[in-house]
Amino acid sequence: MDLEDDTTILTTLKSFNSFISRPEHPQRLSEHSAGSGILQSQYKRSMELLEAAERVHSKNRYLQLDQEKKQMELSHKRARFELERAASDSARDLEHEVDRNQELLGQIKKLEERAEEVNKKLTEQKEANDALQKNLEGLNKTLEERDDKLGTANQTISSLKDEIRELRQKIQNQDSKMSAQTLENQELQEKLDLQQRKYQEVSQLCQSLQAAQSSCSDHIIKIKELERRLVFQEQDFAIVKTVKSEVARVPDLEKELKRLRDDNAYLRESRENCSLLKEEVEGLRKKLERMEKTKEELINMELEKERLTEKLHAWENLGQSTGLNIRKPEDLSREVIQIQQREIALKEQNYTLNSRVRSVERSQSELRAELTQQHSKTLEEQKKREAQDALVRRLQKRVLLLTKERDGMRAILESYDSELAPTEYSPQLSKRLREAEDILQKTQSHNAEMEAQLTKAQEETGTLKLQLQTAELELESLKKQQASATDSNSLLTKEEVTILRQKIEDLERERQRLEEQNNILEMRLERHNLQGDYDPVKTRVLHLKMNPTAIAKQERQQEVEALRQEVTRLRDLVRSLQSGGAVGHSQDDTHNPSFSLSLAPSKEVLDLRKQMESSELRNQRLKEVFQRKIQEFRTVCYVLTGYQIDITTENQYRLTSVYAEHMDDSLLFKKGSNGSMQLMETEFSKTLGEMVALHLHHQKSIPAFLSAVTLDLFSRQTTV
Amino acid sequence: VCAWHPCPSTETALGSSDNLEHRRKDRQVRLAAFGINSILYQRGIYPPETFTRVTHYDLSLLLTTDPKLKSYLTNVVSQLKEWLFECTVQKLVLVITCLETNEVLERWQFDIECDKSAKESSAPREKSIKTIQHEIRSVIRQITATVTFLPLLETPCAFDLLVYTDKDLVVPDKWEESGPQTIDQPEEVRLHSFTTSIHKVNSMVAYKKTESA
Repeated sequence: MDLEDDTTILTTLKSFNSFISRPEHPQRLSEHSAGSGILQSQYKRSMELLEAAERVHSKNRYLQLDQEKKQMELSHKRARFELERAASDSARDLEHEVDRNQELLGQIKKLEERAEEVNKKLTEQKEANDALQKNLEGLNKTLEERDDKLGTANQTISSLKDEIRELRQKIQNQDSKMSAQTLENQELQEKLDLQQRKYQEVSQLCQSLQAAQSSCSDHIIKIKELERRLVFQEQDFAIVKTVKSEVARVPDLEKELKRLRDDNAYLRESRENCSLLKEEVEGLRKKLERMEKTKEELINMELEKERLTEKLHAWENLGQSTGLNIRKPEDLSREVIQIQQREIALKEQNYTLNSRVRSVERSQSELRAELTQQHSKTLEEQKKREAQDALVRRLQKRVLLLTKERDGMRAILESYDSELAPTEYSPQLSKRLREAEDILQKTQSHNAEMEAQLTKAQEETGTLKLQLQTAELELESLKKQQASATDSNSLLTKEEVTILRQKIEDLERERQRLEEQNNILEMRLERHNLQGDYDPVKTRVLHLKMNPTAIAKQERQQEVEALRQEVTRLRDLVRSLQSGGAVGHSQDDTHNPSFSLSLAPSKEVLDLRKQMESSELRNQRLKEVFQRKIQEFRTVCYVLTGYQIDITTENQYRLTSVYAEHMDDSLLFKKGSNGSMQLMETEFSKTLGEMVALHLHHQKSIPAFLSAVTLDLFSRQTTV
Repeated sequence: VCAWHPCPSTETALGSSDNLEHRRKDRQVRLAAFGINSILYQRGIYPPETFTRVTHYDLSLLLTTDPKLKSYLTNVVSQLKEWLFECTVQKLVLVITCLETNEVLERWQFDIECDKSAKESSAPREKSIKTIQHEIRSVIRQITATVTFLPLLETPCAFDLLVYTDKDLVVPDKWEESGPQTIDQPEEVRLHSFTTSIHKVNSMVAYKKTESA
């Protein structure tokens, strides 16, 4: 409601202000005079209204401020509320976060415990690994020891074999050598006899050969001498032949000589004639040349003569051709002089005409300028006239207004006079009259001022129009001048020229910039082309599907896959090796030949074992054979010598006779350090004291002693 | 051993321009084949014992004996000859890739400017052996000269041949589209471009910079 009131108040204020400020049209003057009292009351009312409006305005402002304050309080409350809500939310979030934190801590602890357990397991595994490795090493060591033992056994066997072989070979060699040597001896003796016989024959042959050689050499010498003589004879023969032939030719040569001399003389004469003739020929040639030159000159002269005659004719005919009275060259020159004079006269006329033309032009231009001036003057006069007319019209209007005012005032006066008569308000009325007259005067003065301003404005417009028209006239005159003149290029004014020049410069600068950009882009394009870029709209890049790079990549992938498979297989093998024994892998040999490297030790072990077995078998066989042989030998010794020889301990030999009465009767012999045998005391040897003394002490012969003992025992047996 | 067409030893006076054009393209293609073989030999993509010396045009040139490689090259070369005749080839590129890292290590690029109006010959058919020799020697000399400053290829590598053609070409059976296979941050060297009697060939080699001090 207040706002609506404000608007009405403001609109009334505005209308009042506009009302005051409007230039007072002379037609409203009458209303002003009539309504001067009304104006006053209106003015007062308007002032009161203004004050009311101000009060209302202030009240309005106050109310507005109140409202704003209330709104602010509301917004404060809302903000506080929201903040409290936000605080509660954040408190709740905090609690959630704290709970989550605790949960995560618990999880972390569990994970740490698990990690510790896993580490313990890892260490245990490592220890187990180490133990297994140590076992492996122990096994390897036992294997090596067995191998060493095998080697030593083999070595002893081989050494024994070699000794036996060597002994046998020695015996055989010696026998064979003996026989061979006897045979050789015989052969050599036979050969010797043969050689001696041959030698005698050969010596005889030699002697005969020598005799033959000497005779041969003598013959050879004789042959050479004869050959030389033959050669000399042939040469002499040849010489004789040539001499004969030459002698035969002599008379012919003499004849030729004569002929040649005659020819010579003749030729000399002819040579002299020749030289004379040559001189004549040269002279004639020179003459010829001169004659030819003169001929040419003659021809040229004749041509010139013709030309000159023609020229003469032409000159002579000039007179006839030009129509003038010319017969001699002097006439021609006269004519020429006349023509030149005429020319000079004409030129003078020409110059005078030109000067006249220029002067005429100057006058024309002056006249034109005067014309323009006159035009402008006329225009000015026109303007003045128009201004005067306007003034006149205004004055007339003023007059009309004044008359109207007078009539109005008269009417008012009459009315006031009519009203004055019944009542006595004359002083008030006169006051009012005076006030009205004052107001009128003020309005009149205001009116006059406005009219004066109006006239000033109109005069200014008039002057501007004048200037415009004069400028247009000048332009037209200038244009005409320039059209009459010959230089047409100065149509453009200087301003346009400068503007165009600036435009040109700007365009040139832009062109240069664009050129630089173009160059840069072209460089970039080239660079990209070099690197291999292409415009996908216009070009395409093709290659064969089965190209070497693709094939190589495929092969590489296959290789990689194969290698990965191998790696997994190897890992499994290693794991199984570490866990189980090495024996089971011999079965895999046939299936996985690629694992031969890892199983090599076991294979070697197998070979060694086989070798060991075979060598043990050999050992056993050899032992059996030796035992058999020894047994045979011993039985044969026992049978032949009558004593059984046993080795009881180192270097002690026990002999028991065939004919021993008791089983325990035996003789003990000991081998001393120096290699001699000594008899030891036994029960049986005590009974043989006599024989011991005789054979051993006296004769110092053990075989005699032994044979005596056998004889004794044999005699005892047979007799008993 | 040689898998290429036999050289035109006799020069018969055939006037038909098609035959001329065929022989010209034949020669260009053979040049390309010699160039590829010499690059493969010089860069060690295939072991040197798989290359033999063969005489062509009285020059002794190296050609490969590996059957797979030969068949691949004949396929590419025959297709290239067709395309050259139609003048739809813009570039021929030999790309060398490292097998371990799948990176492109080297890129030999030959830009071919096919003069489509050069079907009529204003110059006489100079197929003398000397010009042919000169062309081949210049190509091989350039390749051997550039090899001196190229970095060593220490890893196992494979190569591929790419052909840049017009977009509206029909792609034949065994061919497929591939990327340009460029090197990032390459060193580029422009080789001396040589002109044969038919066309102009610009060649350049780009290789990956090695991080050696």
